[in-house]
Amino acid sequence: MCNPSGNQLDNVSRRNSARMLKQEFLKKWIMGLQICSASKKEMSILERKKAIKLSADLAMASTKNGTTNWSLALISNASKENDNKTLVDQMLGNHHSEKISTKRPSIVSIFRNKRVATCRGKKILKKRGGIRRAKKMASSATSIAKRLVKKRTQVLKRLVPGGEYMDELNLMEETLDYILSLRAQVDVMRHFANATPKFES
Amino acid sequence: MSSRRSRSRQSGGGSSTISDDQIADLVSKLQQLIPELHSRRSDKVSASKVLQETCNYIRNLHREVDDLSDRLSELLASTDANSAQAAIIRSLLM
Repeated sequence: MCNPSGNQLDNVSRRNSARMLKQEFLKKWIMGLQICSASKKEMSILERKKAIKLSADLAMASTKNGTTNWSLALISNASKENDNKTLVDQMLGNHHSEKISTKRPSIVSIFRNKRVATCRGKKILKKRGGIRRAKKMASSATSIAKRLVKKRTQVLKRLVPGGEYMDELNLMEETLDYILSLRAQVDVMRHFANATPKFES
Repeated sequence: MSSRRSRSRQSGGGSSTISDDQIADLVSKLQQLIPELHSRRSDKVSASKVLQETCNYIRNLHREVDDLSDRLSELLASTDANSAQAAIIRSLLM
């Protein structure tokens, strides 16, 4: 951490990868929007908003090419709803299901069979009564800190797609990547929103 | 994070053990990503604080995506979206 030129190189490569991510996202998002508008000419504002948001989310997830769990979970969630199926297939191509089968099979089979609920938490509580109580007596400060971390980790699990099925380490890694993707998504959407002139129909 | 216990905390089904160091490393990386905590730059931010700010940050990003989708759905209300998109792609990728 005390190598300035190393840090500079890191920053440059970070910026480059961020830019590439945004370009990738933009291309896929535009494609998704075109698919939506081609399939349904007249859309209410709400339908349009859902289409925009769904295309954006799918575009963001598809830039990952199945290399992360959060993107697989996002796509899996989206395809569980019938309305979305055609868009998912057309945006990701029929080979997206192949990609899913090659990555992390244990988690993947969960995605296939269940609806991965990202907003509703299914808390899995581990009860180890005796040991826990003894530890609590021993150092209450550390255990309070640990409980807080545990609680916050549960919240994080619900925010990251597929988080509930990840172990602590995986969750942290996925969160880092998810945040970078979300940032890219927001940046591009914001530029788009600021750049688009208002059309009078 | 002084304990060197590298026993896995979760019942991860035979996965590799998770060391405290690995998690601490990821927590510090998260700390650098989140604007709220970025300015502090000290190692003194607790893991629970980092997690809390991470959750807030993700929630904010979700909300922004939602708001932007609202804005865009109003802006793109016309069926003439293709030409607008073409112009924007050009301006954004230049």
